[in-house]
Amino acid sequence: MSEQQDELIQRVVEELRRPVALDSSLDERVMARIRNEPVRLPEPRRWLLRPFTLRLSPLGALAAAAGFAALVAATTLAVVRSGWLAGVPGSAGATPGVAAVPFVLYAPDAHSVSVVGDFNDWDAAATPLKPAGPSGTWVVTVPLAPGRYRYAFVIDGTRWVPDPGAPLAPADDFGTPNSVLTVGS
Amino acid sequence: MSKLFTNRWARLISSGFYAGVAALLFCFCSWKIAAAQQDPRLERVDPQARPAVVAIIDSAVAAGLPAEPLIDRALEGTSKKAPAPLIVAAVRRLAGDLGKARKLLGPGARAAELIAAADALRWGTPSQVLLRIQRELGNRGLAVPLGLTADLAARGVPPDTAAAMVIAAARRVTDADLLALQRELERSIALGAEPVAASAAILVEVAAPGTGLSGEPTMTGGPARRKP
Repeated sequence: MSEQQDELIQRVVEELRRPVALDSSLDERVMARIRNEPVRLPEPRRWLLRPFTLRLSPLGALAAAAGFAALVAATTLAVVRSGWLAGVPGSAGATPGVAAVPFVLYAPDAHSVSVVGDFNDWDAAATPLKPAGPSGTWVVTVPLAPGRYRYAFVIDGTRWVPDPGAPLAPADDFGTPNSVLTVGS
Repeated sequence: MSKLFTNRWARLISSGFYAGVAALLFCFCSWKIAAAQQDPRLERVDPQARPAVVAIIDSAVAAGLPAEPLIDRALEGTSKKAPAPLIVAAVRRLAGDLGKARKLLGPGARAAELIAAADALRWGTPSQVLLRIQRELGNRGLAVPLGLTADLAARGVPPDTAAAMVIAAARRVTDADLLALQRELERSIALGAEPVAASAAILVEVAAPGTGLSGEPTMTGGPARRKP
């Protein structure tokens, strides 16, 4: 009886030790089954922390790369066009050929004087002149690149006057004459 | 069958999602590029004048004309609180002047040359005079000579005299010297000299050897103002 049991156990052990021959397509079938499993929405926190694999076709990758390049170009262009870089210390002063141009006006009765022109986008608040002592002379120095500029002085925020010592600009389109200034390179 | 149906929809939705993201990205970039092409300073222009001004500028740029002087003119009108029709008319007129200058000087003319030529034309300088300047000084930059011609015309110097003076001077001296010459002329006029006589005197000085114009000053108009 005991010998019969031992023989049985021995056969069972041999059977268990025999290598199992797996179907070569088993892996593919298992992975296909997993892929075809319906997607279960994970919990938000796990979803945020779980790494994922982004798969793109070559065309999709090209489109994404082109989009990214366009985004960078558009942002750079917008920053440059906005003039933001002009406010960065050293960026304007470092421009070669820029000359420091003094603007001077004698206006003893004025309370405020500013110079307004092509060089400051006609912004009356951009370039105020400062009184140079009690003589009634107002002065400011503006860094200007080579070019031809139209400008005028604004006295007390309301009165536009051309520079009495500079040539008049043509085309007095708005009823108040301007002066013209040429800065050489 | 149900799983197959679900998986196909999942793939379709996934593909649609990526396509949507790409389309949104493309639209965003296109919008940003289009927005960047319109100068942000135009937002300051009178809202009633802005559409027409933008249209004029777009047409001018498409024709190869510089946008900067047109933007400046619109900003000038806005700053001076001019009515919208006046702003539009001024910008349109300047675009026309720049177009005439471009036609006159050719497609190779730089923006500064077009601006100076437009000024000269606006002061009544005949086209032939500008063409003469270009013919005589063609191998050098014309922005300063043309600007000086315009400024002389503004002072009442006859165009032919102004052109002769500028050509004679520009053949001998640099742009910096021309600007020094103009500054000297402005000083003489401010001291009471008659513009034509002062121009002639300076022309003689430039034509003579040892002119003394060294080129150290590089600007005219702004500096060394006198009391009015």
